[in-house]
Formats: sequence, structure tokens, C-alpha cells
Amino acid sequence: MSTEHSAAADLPVDVVTSSHSSAQAHLQGNQLGLCLCPVCKKLNRTTNSHCRRCYSSLSTRNYASVQQSWALLVTATILLVLANVYPITLLTNRGVVTNDTIFSGISHLVQTGMIPIAIIVFTASILVPWLKIVGLATYLAAISFDLPISKRKLMVGFHIIEWIGRWSMLDLFVISLTVALVNMGQLLDAKPAPAATAFALVILLTQLAAKVLDTRLLWDRLEKTHDTN
Amino acid sequence: MHEFDDHDSIILCRSCDLAVRKRALPSSARAICPRCDTALYDSPYCSINGMLALCLAALIIFIPANLLPVLEIHFLGSIRTTTVVEAAVAVWAQGYWVVGLAVLVAAVIAPAVLILSILAQVMIVKLKLNRTFWQRVYTTLLKNQGLIAQMTMLEIYVISFLVSAFQLSDFSDVYFGMGTFSFTMLFVIILFLQREYNLEHMWSYVDEH
Repeated sequence: MSTEHSAAADLPVDVVTSSHSSAQAHLQGNQLGLCLCPVCKKLNRTTNSHCRRCYSSLSTRNYASVQQSWALLVTATILLVLANVYPITLLTNRGVVTNDTIFSGISHLVQTGMIPIAIIVFTASILVPWLKIVGLATYLAAISFDLPISKRKLMVGFHIIEWIGRWSMLDLFVISLTVALVNMGQLLDAKPAPAATAFALVILLTQLAAKVLDTRLLWDRLEKTHDTN
Repeated sequence: MHEFDDHDSIILCRSCDLAVRKRALPSSARAICPRCDTALYDSPYCSINGMLALCLAALIIFIPANLLPVLEIHFLGSIRTTTVVEAAVAVWAQGYWVVGLAVLVAAVIAPAVLILSILAQVMIVKLKLNRTFWQRVYTTLLKNQGLIAQMTMLEIYVISFLVSAFQLSDFSDVYFGMGTFSFTMLFVIILFLQREYNLEHMWSYVDEH
């Protein structure tokens, strides 16, 4: 994201290992009786009920977060289907009214030869939301059903989803600018249509689904043989 | 508090709960989790005066960025302009308040709150306001910092100028104005402000008391 920081070397750090067992055994906070404050990330003892820095209530793991995340994700999936089926804008051009769905809007861009813009809109409005839902579902399934997928790869995917998810807002910004500018009655007029609300809710719910999830739950599973790295 | 002394050299990965021994880093280096690659911490560099300057610059440019029109179209002799707020209100007025609210929060409200929040934090640190009231304000601001930063989406809005301009150029002439320039500058200043800002470092001021 930032040029200077990405250029800096990512240093490996010493891992705390238990002295009596093999050096491979990685110790987690819950085995040491320590946990991070969910709000300010201060190190606390699990015996404390509240963070010693910001007084938020502490918990070693949030087991309910998997269910909450599933619920948000299922709702988002239903809304995303609706957002793709129903029209997202309503364009009146010289008295002729056309309903545009997300997909027909992009194919219109391709037909008029604006390929780079079509790629940007396709990525932000179709690729990112679906990737986010499939990615989060894979991540949650790996926790819920103990699927044998590399935890390290899942974590990298999760960080990518967290970062790229915001870009779906692009379509809504474009719609709001277009609606505000194109208002010349029967001659030329653009209005939002029902899919816009559904799409806004998809973004909100998928971002929430990623935010509420306690990712540490994935790492509590037993280490699999293929998953040493 | 003495029982913690032996543990202060240990940190836990926020993503996978791995216990890692903390050690000093050379400047502009970043420690990553050896198990899941999540960024753990970087060497604390966070210039209070630099952030103050960026906050003031952002506050000044915020006004023209939101008052001046960001896009203008000419279509068969009629001219239409819009500001960022007007664009959000236009969608809201059509009954799509969810969309209007989302645009308003991401492009206007969250950036404003972000600037004011960092400005308040910087002033509390700089003027050493140690009264309980100010310390409570400071902690509350830090607790909400992550959420506000996540809701600020200026970079996406800047790209949406370009996408809208190309789409509208299909049937009209499109012009950018001073508002577009101001808004882009606001995005650049906030980008640098967020790079300078280090939440972990800001929390460390609370530890000192």
C-alpha cells in the first residue's frame, strides 16, 4: 500500500517455544494464560476480566463469532443475487426508458469501446463481491468443518478480502454522481433502481462478516502434516 | 503490575494468537508473524508535529473539496454541476436513503471525523492534557480509530470521478473543476496522514500514566 513500508524488509521474529518439548511446538497465547484486548490489542492475563489499558471486557476466544459471521454471509449472498438480477439504474434517453443491471451496464461499456473502464467496474462490482463471499465461505467452512486447507493460505486470502472489499463502493459513488448530474427530464435522466440498495447492504454485511470473525479460531485446530509452514 | 514484567517482551499475533518474543527493530522495518504472515508491529515512528501540520492542511482543503463542484456536464446547451454532498443527497431524494447514507458517510462524514479525531488526539498529546476528562476522550477516540479509518473511502471516490467521467462522455461533454482538484488533494493529504499515524504508538501514551 505505502511504498516506503513495503520496500522495508519483513523481519522474521523469534517464536516463543516451550523448553521441554520439541522446538516445533508453537505456543499460543491461550496456553500461556495470555490474551490480547479485542479493542486496543494490549497484552492481558486471561484471569483479568477487563483490559488493563482501555477497560474493555476480555475473552480468550469469541466462539459465537463463527455463527455471526455465517449469518451475515448467508444474508449477503441472498442480497448479492438480488443485486445482480434486478436493475441498478434506470436511464431515460429521449423518452426511451432502459433498465440497466450491473452486468448490462458493463456490457454496454464494452460495446462502446471503453474496455479499461469496463474492467475496473467489472472488478469492483462483480469480481470483488463474489470473491469476497466465496473466500469468506471457504474460510468459515475450514473452521466449522475442519477442512484440510492450508491455514497460512487461508489467512493471506482473508487479509486480501479485508482490504479489497471496500472497492465495491466504487459503483455506488458512480451511481450517485450520475444521478445528480443527469436530470434533464424526458431528454436524459438517470435514476437509481432497487438493486442499488441491495448492493449497498452486500458491502456492509460482508465487511461486517469479516470484521466480527475471530480468526484465531482457525489456528486452534491441530496442526496437519501438510501444514507445517 | 509487577507480575507483568516478565511478559512485556512477549506479544501475541492478533490473527492466530501465536506467542512471539518482541525485539527491537531497525527503522522502517516491520515484524511479521512467522506462522500466518500478519503484520505484528513496526518500529514506532510517529511525528506529532507532522501529523498536526497534515491535519490542519486537510481541514483547510476539506472546505473547497466539499463546497465546489467536482463534475460538470454540458448536454445540448444545458449545464449540470454537482458536489459530493449534492450527489449523495440526489440519491437520497430518490428514496434510496441506504445508498445516499453510504456515500455520505464514506466520502464526507468519515473523513471529517477522521481529521478531527486525529487533531484532537495530537492536541491532547502535545499539550499534555492529563486531566481525567481528556484522558477519557483520548481513549474513546483511539478505540474508534480503526472503524473510522475503515469507513473513509476517499481513494475509491477519486477513482469514481474517472469512471463517471468516461461513462458520461458517451453522450455529453464532461469537465473537472477546482472541486475535483481539492478533493484529490484531500485524498493525498489524508493518505500521508494515515501513513504517519501509528495506532500502537498513540496507545503507548496511555501506558505512560
